Amino acid sequence: MGGCPIVGKAEKNLHKEVAIEVESLVKKYGDLAAVDGISFTVRRGEVFAFVGPNGAGKTTTVEMLVCLRNLTSGKAIVLDFDIRDRKGQQQIRRRVGVLPQDFNTFDLLTVKENLSYYKKMYDGGMDIDELIELVDLKDKANALYKNLSGGLKKRLAIATALVNDPEVVFLDEPTTGLDPRARRDMWNLIGGLKEKRKTIFLTTHYMDEAEVLADTVAIISFGKIIAMESPSELISKYGGKTALIVEEGGKAVYDLLGQTLPDVRLENDGDVFATIKKKSDLPNAIVALDKNKAEFAELVVRRPTLEDVFLNLTGKKIVEGELH
Amino acid sequence: MRRILAIVVGALRMWFRSKHTLFWTLAFPVLLMLLFGAIFSVNQNPTFDLYVQNQDVVDGEPTYWSQAFCDMMNGTEILNLHMVDSTENATQFIEEKGAQRMLILPEGFNNSVSVHSNVNITLKMVPTEVDTASATVMGVIDQLVEGFNTVVTQQYPLEVVTIESENIVSETFKYIDFFAPGIIGMTLMTSGIFGAVAWNTRNKELGILKKLATTPLSKLEWIIGVVLYELLMGAVSTIVIITVGVLAFDLKVIPNIFTVILIISGAIAFPGIGMVIARFVKEADSADAAANAITFPMMFLSGSFFPLEMMPDFLRQIANVLPLTYLNNGLRDSMVYGNVSSALFNTAVILGVGVFFIIVGAIITNWREE
Repeated sequence: MGGCPIVGKAEKNLHKEVAIEVESLVKKYGDLAAVDGISFTVRRGEVFAFVGPNGAGKTTTVEMLVCLRNLTSGKAIVLDFDIRDRKGQQQIRRRVGVLPQDFNTFDLLTVKENLSYYKKMYDGGMDIDELIELVDLKDKANALYKNLSGGLKKRLAIATALVNDPEVVFLDEPTTGLDPRARRDMWNLIGGLKEKRKTIFLTTHYMDEAEVLADTVAIISFGKIIAMESPSELISKYGGKTALIVEEGGKAVYDLLGQTLPDVRLENDGDVFATIKKKSDLPNAIVALDKNKAEFAELVVRRPTLEDVFLNLTGKKIVEGELH
Repeated sequence: MRRILAIVVGALRMWFRSKHTLFWTLAFPVLLMLLFGAIFSVNQNPTFDLYVQNQDVVDGEPTYWSQAFCDMMNGTEILNLHMVDSTENATQFIEEKGAQRMLILPEGFNNSVSVHSNVNITLKMVPTEVDTASATVMGVIDQLVEGFNTVVTQQYPLEVVTIESENIVSETFKYIDFFAPGIIGMTLMTSGIFGAVAWNTRNKELGILKKLATTPLSKLEWIIGVVLYELLMGAVSTIVIITVGVLAFDLKVIPNIFTVILIISGAIAFPGIGMVIARFVKEADSADAAANAITFPMMFLSGSFFPLEMMPDFLRQIANVLPLTYLNNGLRDSMVYGNVSSALFNTAVILGVGVFFIIVGAIITNWREE
């Protein structure tokens, strides 16, 4: 099919746009398929997020793409190099930066020493001082890794994935185990990398993280991609409707809203959920609450998120990485 | 090369900053040396008890030359003589009195010496005893005999009197001479095995090995880096132990090429064994336990602290298949006894073991995932 020269040229241009191309990738351990025939394309300069619970196949996929694991079948091209090809693997290693899952570096080396340790594994790469500035560790440049806080450790870990000035950065669960503030910090850092036109392949089980950071989200469950689009498209397709939540409204509010809205439910803790289906639903509900001097703790309008998308697609929730 | 250098320099930095590894590679061997050295080297001018049975007696009086020999022994002021009646049964006496060593001058000693014909004197020592004292006594009597022969024969030193010892102590080395090479061997083993185990398991748990495998660094470069580092550690420990031995206990060391080759071989063999352990026992803590289970018995069974001759036969058979035995023996042969042919054999064995284990270790170490 690709024999005609015009198509060939088009393909070449396409390749400049494509960082990773995966086709029917499979990884089996015995009879168990950890990765079960996934296909996707990561464009250059985008943040591509792999979202799913623990054990869904996220890390296995990353480790195949960075040539740590052999694939069982299928095809994957990273930066124009085939991951099955030995010479291609060497090229890939030079051009990608990896933050492995649960990575901790040498306790007894300083921030600076750790970075130059990894930098020496490559030919060339980023200036270490510049890199330290980029991840905002200038004050801690001479501190030992073991004396850093969890958030700062993660920043250094991300910096180790940048020492070779890579074209593609793989971040395998970069914020797992961090407190909310450190996570936001990390989001800013990853956002900054995106501005530098780095292609970022991110795995996470935090839906909010993918929603904030990713251009494209692939939801993976039991080794298969079950949906793949931009976060806003995913939400509008699978997220469901906006909901009005009357916290601690109780039976009275439930009965009241039931008269004006078609889909109302009462939770065990007394919160009342009402689905907003028409534009007029929300003002009507509020007017009804006001008129009847209803008693409640707080009024919240909640738009659907990726979490709802996941719930609607799989019937399950992810809590701390595990399916519930 | 740049990558290997980065691994070695990084490892040295961490070594220097880790109290734990500093203790095991420097302080622990020094402590052992000082402790054992102090226990086994007695004070500066020691005296040793020696029971003497002069059987060359005529009319109840010791003969001329036998008395002269006893006077000479007295004159050393090292030997504290206790004369034993010539009618006593020597072996029985030793058992009953708990005497540790007894010298027997035979009947006819005087006559033989007078005509310059050979006569044997016998030093009986309690067979289980292997202490520095007996070795020293042996050495002292040896020199006395030499001196006595010279006096008797004037300028033609013939071997008129010869000495025969009736037990295991035949060399005149001090315990520290035996002990120092054992400590070097032991340190090479423990730091090599534990070092490689820690490098491969802890770094795997931290994800560092995985991280390095995503860089252009190859497994071979990693292993060379680790072994080079262990080699440096081995050299540092050796120098420290020898320095302490020389300064504190007057250790005599013969510098030679075998010692160097032995230390290099040991520094390759034991990290190799460590890599094999790390491959099969994946969790760092259990791998540590496994390393302990291997190093601890090997330390004692390979004659690091006391001579293999003291051990029962079946333990000696075990010692014969332990690599540390050959390292210890080789180090003693080369740096203390100056026994080249024996050193050569031991060096060949440990070098072979070293090459074997480092190749096996390198092949089976997991660099990438399944």
